[in-house]
Amino acid sequence: MTDVGGAPSWHELWSNLAIFKDAIWVGGLAGALLGAIGVHVVLRRMVFASSAIAQAAALGVALSFWIPALIDPSGHAAGHAAGPAAHVAPSLLFEPVLWAIAASLLATLVFVANPVHLHLTRESLLGFVFLASGAGAVIVGDKITQEAHDLSAILFGSAVVVEPGDLYMVGAATVLLLGGHAVLWRALLFAGYDPMGARVQGMPVRKLNVFLFLSVGLSVALCTRALGALPVFAFSVLPAMTALALTARIGLVFVLATLIGALSGVGGYVVSFRGDLPVGATQTATAAALLAAALAFRFVLARYERRARTTSAPRTDAA
Amino acid sequence: MRLPAGERLLSTDALVVGHEGAAILPPLTMTIAAGELWAILGPNGSGKSTFVRTALGLVSPVGGKVEARPGLRLAYVPQQSSLDAIFPISVFDFVLMGLQGPGNVTLLGGRGLGARAAAALDEAGARALARRQLRDLSGGQRQRVLIARALATDADLVFLDEPTTALDAAAEHEVLQLIETLRAKRGAAVVMVTHLVEDGLERADRALLLDRDHGVARAATAAEVRALPEFARVYGRFVARSEATP
Repeated sequence: MTDVGGAPSWHELWSNLAIFKDAIWVGGLAGALLGAIGVHVVLRRMVFASSAIAQAAALGVALSFWIPALIDPSGHAAGHAAGPAAHVAPSLLFEPVLWAIAASLLATLVFVANPVHLHLTRESLLGFVFLASGAGAVIVGDKITQEAHDLSAILFGSAVVVEPGDLYMVGAATVLLLGGHAVLWRALLFAGYDPMGARVQGMPVRKLNVFLFLSVGLSVALCTRALGALPVFAFSVLPAMTALALTARIGLVFVLATLIGALSGVGGYVVSFRGDLPVGATQTATAAALLAAALAFRFVLARYERRARTTSAPRTDAA
Repeated sequence: MRLPAGERLLSTDALVVGHEGAAILPPLTMTIAAGELWAILGPNGSGKSTFVRTALGLVSPVGGKVEARPGLRLAYVPQQSSLDAIFPISVFDFVLMGLQGPGNVTLLGGRGLGARAAAALDEAGARALARRQLRDLSGGQRQRVLIARALATDADLVFLDEPTTALDAAAEHEVLQLIETLRAKRGAAVVMVTHLVEDGLERADRALLLDRDHGVARAATAAEVRALPEFARVYGRFVARSEATP
């Protein structure tokens, strides 16, 4: 049963939940994981980083399709003839998620390295990673026309259904990395806010930063493979911004960002289903809409508080 | 545990500081002892920050060595401007950072941490600010909170980077009093990078004069530093002018 206009109904979503539930889970888990980690990304002014890493992950996936075809063109063509499942992952060596992780970790090295020695800023190197990866993904994508649909899904996200393996990997990453961040959030905060003070007090700032950057790299790689680069970038920035707009209590910021990320992932999927729209775009739009609502709330609250202050201020009678 | 006054905390032996292997100051030998107040003086770009970072072990020396007393507890009070206002950090959460270190990286499972942070805020006269955001405070209030975190560390040696920059006269006096408390009550040694030449030398036991352009790195008592010809060359006319001003 569909609604007027041909859009799938709630009943259809419910009755086919068994088919879609893995994708909904992945959306929710990825949103929660990236939402929590995103608080550090936003506070440390590394917003561009997750975008650059997601682009690098997308290039990694594109390369995993293209290189087998380059090495063995006839075998690859035979794979196409045999069906889609035969060529997408011809062997473990060319498993897209491994290439996504490898490319993401390479991009993550930009954070760990000290670009001052190159007389460059970290932002400029991230710009380089973003542009080189983006251009590379499009060029490689042009060479692998058969998998063009897969590449488009990786770049913009159209995860109507996901592989069970993606769910397991994103689920495991969420449990492990979110657990690590729950334990280390205060330490990571100290290392980001006052790195010199933290080092003087004997905090392992370098190790904490490596943990943060690796967790950004891994989570972005795994989630990009499952959802696409666009929603992954959105989840690693927008829920944190929304939480920061709603509260100044830092512990609550992390909790809210996690919940808002999960809501964006699941809500965006449902909106996509009901509106018959691309999943990655609706997940991104949902996260953006929540941020817009939070900013509007802040604006109204600030006006109300200003008015309340003006009203309660003591009056001076004119002489 | 309070260390006896005069106990050696940190010393440098022919220490040469610099960038990427290039020296920017001549070799320096000095000893910081428990309970001492040091003022680090010098014009902008004189090498003060490089010296502090090297003494704190954050940067490798170009030559010579820095020796710290085994188990020395260090604290660093940054310049206010180096703390990013985008971070939503409450005063209480900031002071809790003073309790983090090798023995308690995560602050999980530590007992009485809240009480220790509250006591440090009390001592700094900032208890009423505990729930406020650090970024919303005035310069003087914020500096008190920064020093409260140093109090929470229970450090033997505290480095303060320009603690009175951009403060009005009243706030400046308050902060200098608080630094005196840090030294007198806690017995900590305090090393203060300061642009307040007169106040710095008046309050400090010892001073370090740095001037990269003229190759000066001299550590001595405050009175001796004031009498140095190098001091007169850098500050003479300014000090004379300020002394002449009522």
